[in-house]
Amino acid sequence: MRSTSAPSLVLDRVSAGYGGAAVIEDVSFSVRSGEVACVVGPNGAGKSTLLRAITRDAVLISGRILLAGEDISETAGNDLVRRGLAWVPQLDDVFPILTVRENLELGGYSLDRRRMRARVEEVVAIFPLLSRLLGRVAGQLSGGERKLLAIGRALMPGPSAVLLDEPTAGLSPEMTQLVLNTHVEELRQSGVAVLLVEQRALEAIAVSSEVHVMVDGRLRVSKQARLLTDGEELARLFLGE
Amino acid sequence: MSAATQLYLATVSVYICVNVIASWALDIQFGVTGVLNFSFVVFQAAGAYTAAILSLGPSSSSGGFQRYVGGWRLPFPVPIIGAMVVGAVLAGVVGLVSLRRLRSDYQAMVMLVVSVIATIVAESQTGLVNGVAGISLVANPMVSLIHATRQTQIWIFVLFCVFCMALVGVVMYATVYSPFGRVLRAVRENDRAIEALGRNANRHRMQAFVIGGALAGLSGALLVEFIGAWAPNGWFYPETFVFFTAVIVGGRGSLTGVAVGAALVGVGVQQAVEYLPITLNPSVIASLEWIITGILTLVFLWTRPQGLLPERRRRFPTPWRSDAPELAERSAATKGDERG
Amino acid sequence: MGVLMSAIGFGIVTASILAVSSVGFTLQFSVTNVFNLSFGSVMTGTGFIAYALNTSGVSIWASMAIGALCGGVISVALNWLIFGRFIRHGISRFGMVIVTIATGLICDNTIQAFVGPTFYAYNAQPGKAFNLAGMLLTGQELIIIVIAAVMMTATHVGLKSTRLGAAMRGLSVNASLARACGVPTRRVVAVAWFASGVMAGIGSVALFLDTSTFAATTGSQFLIMVIAAAVLGGVGSAEGAVVGALVVGLATEITAAYWNPELKDVVAFVVLILVLLVRPQGMFSQLSSERTAVG
Repeated sequence: MRSTSAPSLVLDRVSAGYGGAAVIEDVSFSVRSGEVACVVGPNGAGKSTLLRAITRDAVLISGRILLAGEDISETAGNDLVRRGLAWVPQLDDVFPILTVRENLELGGYSLDRRRMRARVEEVVAIFPLLSRLLGRVAGQLSGGERKLLAIGRALMPGPSAVLLDEPTAGLSPEMTQLVLNTHVEELRQSGVAVLLVEQRALEAIAVSSEVHVMVDGRLRVSKQARLLTDGEELARLFLGE
Repeated sequence: MSAATQLYLATVSVYICVNVIASWALDIQFGVTGVLNFSFVVFQAAGAYTAAILSLGPSSSSGGFQRYVGGWRLPFPVPIIGAMVVGAVLAGVVGLVSLRRLRSDYQAMVMLVVSVIATIVAESQTGLVNGVAGISLVANPMVSLIHATRQTQIWIFVLFCVFCMALVGVVMYATVYSPFGRVLRAVRENDRAIEALGRNANRHRMQAFVIGGALAGLSGALLVEFIGAWAPNGWFYPETFVFFTAVIVGGRGSLTGVAVGAALVGVGVQQAVEYLPITLNPSVIASLEWIITGILTLVFLWTRPQGLLPERRRRFPTPWRSDAPELAERSAATKGDERG
Repeated sequence: MGVLMSAIGFGIVTASILAVSSVGFTLQFSVTNVFNLSFGSVMTGTGFIAYALNTSGVSIWASMAIGALCGGVISVALNWLIFGRFIRHGISRFGMVIVTIATGLICDNTIQAFVGPTFYAYNAQPGKAFNLAGMLLTGQELIIIVIAAVMMTATHVGLKSTRLGAAMRGLSVNASLARACGVPTRRVVAVAWFASGVMAGIGSVALFLDTSTFAATTGSQFLIMVIAAAVLGGVGSAEGAVVGALVVGLATEITAAYWNPELKDVVAFVVLILVLLVRPQGMFSQLSSERTAVG
């Protein structure tokens, strides 16, 4: 199932931090359109900082980030959506006082009005479960429904890459399966490049084509996911052996 | 020195002492503990009215010139102690109403409302503290206490004020830089952490509030015994802001700093404006004082939020700075019940 | 009965003025999270701009409209010059309250230095009185009620069924997510300040017509009532602010009619404090209850 499309999101020797020393150093990998890549690693490995470096919430110290062939290293955080990057934060990922439809529409704020309406229908077609939720208030959704909405919301502007920050955090095991196996797969099939950062490493690897193991701010191993399904090998990598 | 110069110097000295005591009182509430007490001036006023009522005797004795509740002729220093008690009790009552788990800006708003209610009640219920005209003819306690010339009596009162300020200063230093003071500062910085340690943050806020209330009462009592009169237009709610500016300019939480701020803002600005080389309409002078006070606050919050003489032992981030990065664009990323 | 109905009539007029002002206050607060204690100064400023126009021959309603637009501009300017800069400078919400009160004092006293301590009055006729079910209302008062109703409907529709309204509501609960959606937050915040200034302007001219005389401090005195109505309804909730305005307006005028006109404001404030004791987040606030749910 390896696709041959061109890389959509490229990280080229990225180092980043929060104003002081670098938290992540020299990270390079790429994600192709229609593919899921996951970054796994122990707590404190720098996975979240990696995402924040891409979304401009952390300081990019050196290196380049390319999206669909264009350098977005200098793009301000507010403009990333227009350049084709979308992301789903781990917490506070929806607007709880708005309805599901309003959430989706706000996700497409960068589109013009007519395109936005049409895009809601397209996104609902990609995630059929959303169709019966449209009138509900987002604050009343279950954890899984809420994450589905957050992913749909991120897909609204028609991005070329979507970043998911621990989408299964706080979800029950059944919900985790639903989100990863169904919704992340639906997202991948829509043709975007998906970068998944996960605590639940084995579950994440099962839905990914590429795995990047991050330890102490550096990439330790990058592999095709089907070559890394052994829990013990993963544990050894995590522990740094 | 002429009598007029002497009176001028004595007046400035008393105002400095009173403002320093009052600013310390606000500092323990706002500077040290982090309570935005926008009704502060009410406690000063309560102290002033109490001292007046406890020293003037029954209102019938003034021949219907002024009306107020109660009225006793108690010997010095009972009226002053009474003023402190009333300030503390009133702070307790207001604290019970407003120091609940409200966001800090809601708290500030409730206090502001308390301040407005207090002035409206004092103005409209003329039998309470003689309405808009206020209470006057309060005698300097030294007049009946010491047989000397009028000027000596005034200077002895000035000495008494300096003594009170020194005493309050000693007590404040002992409180603010004690383990208790550290707890209060911790309440300011992170009340959640304090509660996680099994302490009741609200109780500590209340303690600071009551101490501040008593000292505010003292400052009001000293002032009314010196100037002899007290009326609602002297304690409209914006007056509280002068003390806030003093604390901010001097250095929130720093006793020496706040004393300097109180002298500069509470007395210095006024004196500076009065001695401007241009002749201005009196109402313009008052406006100018307010404008300068407001600008001082903004300038200090922008350029030197820690004040002229910053608080010592700065184990915490600057209290004016929020630490969450997303707040830089908009202060609102964190809403809810936490304190800012 | 006659006394009650006429008190209700006055109450509705007061509530209309309060509603416009407190919706303006609360809308800006919910979007920017700045508890703006200089709102009263914007009211006073626009009231005097309208006065300048009115005394030079412009009709009072045209003066109100132009004054309201100026209010919007002043409000945006204050945010651009002071509040926004302090926020980006990293000031805490705690410090922000003091910044807005300092700004209010500076503005009020600058106005005072120019207009002096005297009272002013618009050149406008109250119009002939109508008797509506025992409520005696002048033509002027009826127009104020209609303007308030139109403003409230427009605000409601604007918030509920436009993209900008959704962006404002989204911004009020989660600013960083709104940015992640590509919402131009600075622009939406500016719109909120503008709307708040416009409503301050309309509220102030209506208020100064209603009180018939006004001075440099009238706006800031009224601000306490505006905040009372906004907090009563739950800060951040436009519908709540309208209900809060009705409660405050009716409570004050009924107190004035039956008890003591001087104590009417006190009653409003006591009601406010009692409500806060029972429900610290106000009657209808969606924001606070949501946030406690999120944690």
